[in-house]
Amino acid sequence: MARKRAKAHAAVPPVTTVVTLCLYVAGGAPNSVIAIANLEAICQQYLKDGYKLEVIDVCEHPLRALSDRVVVTPSLTKLSPGLPANVIGNLSDTGCVLAILGLRTADLQ
Amino acid sequence: MSLEGPQTGPNPSGSDAESAFKEWLRRLVRGTAERRAFDAGEIDAVMDPGGGSAILLPPARAALQRSSRLLLKAIDALPCEICVLDPAGTVVMTNQAWRTYVSAHAGMGLGLSDGLNVFAACRQVPTAERVGAAAVASGVRLVLAGERDLVRCQYVYDSPRGQHSFTLAMAGVCTDGSLYAILTRERVSQGDRTPLAARSDRAKPNRIAATGIAADVPNRLLAALPASQRERLLDGLDSVTLNYGEVINEPGEAIRYVYFPSDCLVSLLTVVEGHRALEVGLVGREGMVGSRLALGVDTSPVRALVQGTGTALRMKSTRFLQELQRNTQLRPAVLRFADSLMGQVTHTAACNRFHRIEARLARWLLMTRERLPSAQFRLTQAFLADMLGVRRVGVTSAAGALQRKKLIHYRRGIITILDQEGLEAASCSCYRQVQVPGLHIAS
Repeated sequence: MARKRAKAHAAVPPVTTVVTLCLYVAGGAPNSVIAIANLEAICQQYLKDGYKLEVIDVCEHPLRALSDRVVVTPSLTKLSPGLPANVIGNLSDTGCVLAILGLRTADLQ
Repeated sequence: MSLEGPQTGPNPSGSDAESAFKEWLRRLVRGTAERRAFDAGEIDAVMDPGGGSAILLPPARAALQRSSRLLLKAIDALPCEICVLDPAGTVVMTNQAWRTYVSAHAGMGLGLSDGLNVFAACRQVPTAERVGAAAVASGVRLVLAGERDLVRCQYVYDSPRGQHSFTLAMAGVCTDGSLYAILTRERVSQGDRTPLAARSDRAKPNRIAATGIAADVPNRLLAALPASQRERLLDGLDSVTLNYGEVINEPGEAIRYVYFPSDCLVSLLTVVEGHRALEVGLVGREGMVGSRLALGVDTSPVRALVQGTGTALRMKSTRFLQELQRNTQLRPAVLRFADSLMGQVTHTAACNRFHRIEARLARWLLMTRERLPSAQFRLTQAFLADMLGVRRVGVTSAAGALQRKKLIHYRRGIITILDQEGLEAASCSCYRQVQVPGLHIAS
């Protein structure tokens, strides 16, 4: 009886990079709400499960925001991979957000 | 969350003032991208390093104030009763339903209103409510200290319209770096119309009621003795704290002390060589440990293991034997208890053999509950498995089944009985056989 040959190369799990993000908001203020919605949409579309997001309310944790050198909110900081980078505002400019995430729109199309 | 503007900045009033305020805020903004976003109206708040706070822009502040007002109105409109305590335990907010309840019950039943401190209120309750109030104070402390996310306890109180009871749920909420407690009333009921004060007398036989039950002696066996004999006995008793897991008697060893539990719980375990210890009896404030001395036997046949930390009154066995001789009511009382304990042991043996784990667990939890002042107690699954003589996986499954039926809540070794009646229905018939008359769950 013929036996099936095992594949010569074992399946190698793909290396995934987790993007760590920190979004500073001011409670339920209008731009903060928009920023959270925009960022979640971008992350779900482009990063799937490959991201970690921490949302910090500066009204509740002002000292944390000041120690992280946050000047205004909403403010998004990418902590890793690579060098830290910021985007200010309600994150309606998707291209700008993708740029700091290290994802160019041209690569994704 | 602060809804106020800057303490040191200009006070905005009218469009000019608002413009001046925005210009003042803009000067705090450093960085090109930040200023661009500020000018585009995409900014909600500017950080003020001098004040160590976030300063909201007028549109953001107005939006948050609107949502705060809406939230307060929504909380007021909720049918459940809500009360919010600050980190010191002072009431900072109540909703309409809570205020209506307090007003309808004339402040009885822990009638907390705005500005009152829960700990002070718990100290001032009538004697009959002290157990419930102590549980509430303890629960609030745990929540405000961040040691527990949620605590539930039952509270029973009397009013001219009868006896009321409710479950008070206490949950922690962190805001502005401080922990607040949210209290909600659940399962409000008006059951027994007999006032609490009269209930213990009703539950006892007339003969004992005629002698008077000592309200300040938690142990029922001691409390049922005639006052003069009880006082003499109390002189020879020391108050001790028994800790969870402590063994106070080993099988075959001489009984050195007798114990009258006040608010602790002692399991009687039989030890069979080659097997794990199996629980055959449970003793709480209804009885004593060491009752065999009254039968003329000075050794213990079982291991007595403390399974609920608390206090007990203790006496040396030699002194207890002397008291049995001269105290005419003590020996009959101890013999009656020894007889009821024998009945409990008999039923437990049959129950362990014939009934399902889930029903046995329900029976065991109910027996534990009626001997303790709170519906919440600490039990690990390993301990429960030993008590019921089953494998741990069996306990996990049975506890899970009771939890799915919302009869109990089990988390991190803490069991809370949520539905007493439901648990009684889920238990085997043995519970009714071993239930101690007069040992009401809330008393």
